[in-house]
Amino acid sequence: MAAEANAIDPIHQFEIQPIVKIGLGNIDASFTNSSLFMVIILACISLLMIWGTSGRALVPGRLQAAAEMAYEFVASTVRSTTGDHGMKFFPLVFSLFMFVVFSNVLGLIPYTYTVTSQIIVTFALAALVILTVLIYGFYKHGTHFLRLFVPSGVPMVLLPVIVMIEVISFVSRPISLSVRLFANMLAGHITLKVFAGFVTMLLGAGAASILAPLPLLAIVGLTAFELLVAVLQAYVFAILTCVYLNDAIHPGH
Amino acid sequence: MRPQMSGHESDEDRRSREDLELRARLDRLSGALKEQNLDARERKAGANTDIPGAETGRALSLGFRVLSEFVAGVVVGFLIGWQLDVWLSTTPLFLILFLGLGTAAGFYNVYRIAARPMGPAKPKDKA
Repeated sequence: MAAEANAIDPIHQFEIQPIVKIGLGNIDASFTNSSLFMVIILACISLLMIWGTSGRALVPGRLQAAAEMAYEFVASTVRSTTGDHGMKFFPLVFSLFMFVVFSNVLGLIPYTYTVTSQIIVTFALAALVILTVLIYGFYKHGTHFLRLFVPSGVPMVLLPVIVMIEVISFVSRPISLSVRLFANMLAGHITLKVFAGFVTMLLGAGAASILAPLPLLAIVGLTAFELLVAVLQAYVFAILTCVYLNDAIHPGH
Repeated sequence: MRPQMSGHESDEDRRSREDLELRARLDRLSGALKEQNLDARERKAGANTDIPGAETGRALSLGFRVLSEFVAGVVVGFLIGWQLDVWLSTTPLFLILFLGLGTAAGFYNVYRIAARPMGPAKPKDKA
């Protein structure tokens, strides 16, 4: 019983395993299972977009409908959050959204690897967003961009405190952006594995094995819920990217 | 020569008229596209409530967003204060100060979500 419980390791699925070992000096640049799935994600996105848009039928087929839906969905999100000025960031937001949604959804398929369950990946995505905000903000508005941290109509006495709070709030953005996506994926996959573990544990528990289908049913529900979370988190990531970009486009409250 | 000139002129006239027509058609098309976009947006807003699980999922994701924004504010405040203390060896002055500021920033983040749940509804206000 104990040995059986030990055999179920819900964390094992997140382990990085090198497939091709590459060392650049002291840097471990191996091609890992994570890299493999990133390549698969990119291939899937490219396939969907290139194949889907090559037909250009007036009445779209399945693939073309999916590609057009993805485009229109992200475009309307960008337009409604940042206005028409924000459409120059559409390629960035679309790439981020597609990457996140594909890695989340592909990760739900058994035996695959969820790239977004690694915090370094989500943090890299969030850092990309924040760096874009900073660079574009300073490029477009110069030092005027710093007005972002100075809300109008605040008494002079409170100003230093408010500015500090605004700065901390700004710095916390990439952290909350990356941790949210990572934690959702991590927690979801661990929950699925733990419930799956319950099934095997109950099957080996004699009379209690009658209860074994219960966690199995729960897994069915949880998988559906995880699919929802996977898409929703990608949407939240995209819309927050738009909100932050909106600050770079229109600084000052 | 004369008929040629007039023929040339009428050619130009026709071209400018075609230009005008083309422009009018383009305006009409872009107007229609804008209208359709609006329609689609409204339809989507109506369709959002169709799936029963979606509401729960949305509420859960909003709750998780509030939690992560709040925790991120506190954590960033803690890290800044801690690092300042390490550099200036003033333990625990800045840690306490920035932990308070970080908590305030966390509450501020949450307030901002509550004020407009999914980004600014009207970007025009901000411009």
